[in-house]
Amino acid sequence: MMNSKKIIAYIVRITLWALVIAFFWWAISENMFDKIFNEPETFKGLLTAHIQLTVISAGLAILTSLPLGILITRPWFRKSEWLIVNIANLGQTIPSLAVLALAMSFLGIGMPTAIVALYVYSLLPVLQNTIAGLDSVQPEMKDAAKGMGMTPLQILFRVELPNASSSILAGIRTAVVLNIGTAALAYLIGGGGLGVWIFTGIQLYDNQTLISGAIPVTLLAVLVDFIFRGLQYVLVPKGNRLATKAVTD
Amino acid sequence: MIDFKNVTKIYGGEVKAVDDITMSVNEGEFVILLGPSGCGKTTLLRMVNQLETITDGEINVNGQNVKEMDKIKMRRNIGYVIQSNGLFPNMTIEKNTMIVPDLLGWDRKKKRDRFNYLMDLIGLNPDEYRKRYPHELSGGQQQRIGVARAMASDPPVMLMDEPFGALDPIIREKVQDEFLTIQKEVKKTILFVSHDIDEAVKMGDKISLLRQGQIMQYASPTEMLHRPKNDFVSEFIGKDRVLRSMSLYTVNDLVEALGLKSKEEDIQDTKEITIDTSLRVALSMLLNKEADELLITDDQGEAHGSLTFDLIETFINREVRGA
Repeated sequence: MMNSKKIIAYIVRITLWALVIAFFWWAISENMFDKIFNEPETFKGLLTAHIQLTVISAGLAILTSLPLGILITRPWFRKSEWLIVNIANLGQTIPSLAVLALAMSFLGIGMPTAIVALYVYSLLPVLQNTIAGLDSVQPEMKDAAKGMGMTPLQILFRVELPNASSSILAGIRTAVVLNIGTAALAYLIGGGGLGVWIFTGIQLYDNQTLISGAIPVTLLAVLVDFIFRGLQYVLVPKGNRLATKAVTD
Repeated sequence: MIDFKNVTKIYGGEVKAVDDITMSVNEGEFVILLGPSGCGKTTLLRMVNQLETITDGEINVNGQNVKEMDKIKMRRNIGYVIQSNGLFPNMTIEKNTMIVPDLLGWDRKKKRDRFNYLMDLIGLNPDEYRKRYPHELSGGQQQRIGVARAMASDPPVMLMDEPFGALDPIIREKVQDEFLTIQKEVKKTILFVSHDIDEAVKMGDKISLLRQGQIMQYASPTEMLHRPKNDFVSEFIGKDRVLRSMSLYTVNDLVEALGLKSKEEDIQDTKEITIDTSLRVALSMLLNKEADELLITDDQGEAHGSLTFDLIETFINREVRGA
């Protein structure tokens, strides 16, 4: 059983990598990345703008959602949890393009508008995972902490947050990676970023421009995902990692 | 040490979980709060360290009204163990055990010494477990760490909420025995919640049997088994209470009360047991027809005489029926 599953997984992985290599082979042999090398300054500008869009919006979203998630899981706020989660959910049900359009109708065009839209769009994954993580801490653990004379703040920082860290970091990772992709849409409201080349490429049927914009976005998302997985390894306490491993093995 | 005066707990204005309980636990006493689920035993326990509020009445610990004490401070001075040990998976065993000393601001050296002492006490090698994490330990080991953690700052009073309830029977017996040995050394004042009559009889100096928030009987195990106060008590402790009470005595108790029969040469079928064997075990051996008589020996292996079925019967009549 185990072996056939493993073999299938290997085949899938090898096929995927083969496809990726084939694609790059084709792209490089057709000089698809020439635009990057011909216009390095423009590329740098677009890439910087793209990273700015992502980092600022995701950063603000984390700064909002993390404290908010902590706040509404406190006993005296419990009753308002559904309300806030529903509001955040609403933000997520609206398509990203519509969020951009709505933001534009209030704030006009430009990068700040794109940042606001992306910010609204990243709130939910972080909030949801913060709440889920804090809720998953066993009540017995909190009871023991309280019974031993920990203050509410000590319980939060020594017991709840460390034990929720895996889930919270996964939420942040999801938000940031999603954000990198969504930031390509910023072009549509004049927000800049690598979306400029992607959409220009689409409109002009120009594969070279399209791919010179799309591939860096993809690589950026993959790289950031990888970095966050590493970060999870560093930030999640060893005991929790071992415990999860014991469950999944 | 712990005094309950007309303590009442009412949930949501209607449900009386604890109903006018008055009892006191003396210093160094091991008291079991026993009863079926929903009898209010856990609520009563949790009111002592104010995890539950007291609706009415008063609880004094060491002469001080708990309501007037600082919650955080008083909890740090009372050991607390729960059924699912409540160890924190993000912390090493040493960190877990030293939580209260940490909160109290002990220095490193003092914490380390205390950890080593406690681990020796519960029979685990301190250096082997110091850096390990809770999930790497077995259930029995985790529960022992839970007990060690509650004793970390050497609190005079310990509250234990079915601490061994989640362990399988064999491990539970062992951990119970270990804990009794530890208690002999540390002499804590203990309030211990249990629903298991065998555990209560084995562990407690006194048992407080509760039902619907009221005390049915508060007495020593012997007293309760031999003189149940009402129908509920006798029903709860079971029809086999005479047999059960045998585990309260050792062969030595019988020897002191009645003496032994001198060993007869013509009886071949004997078996040797030591004088500190529980009378329940001795009786079972006789019932099992493992031997007609049991040869009793002391620590040095010197024979004292024989124990027979008749002798045990006489002993039961004397002790249990109060003759």
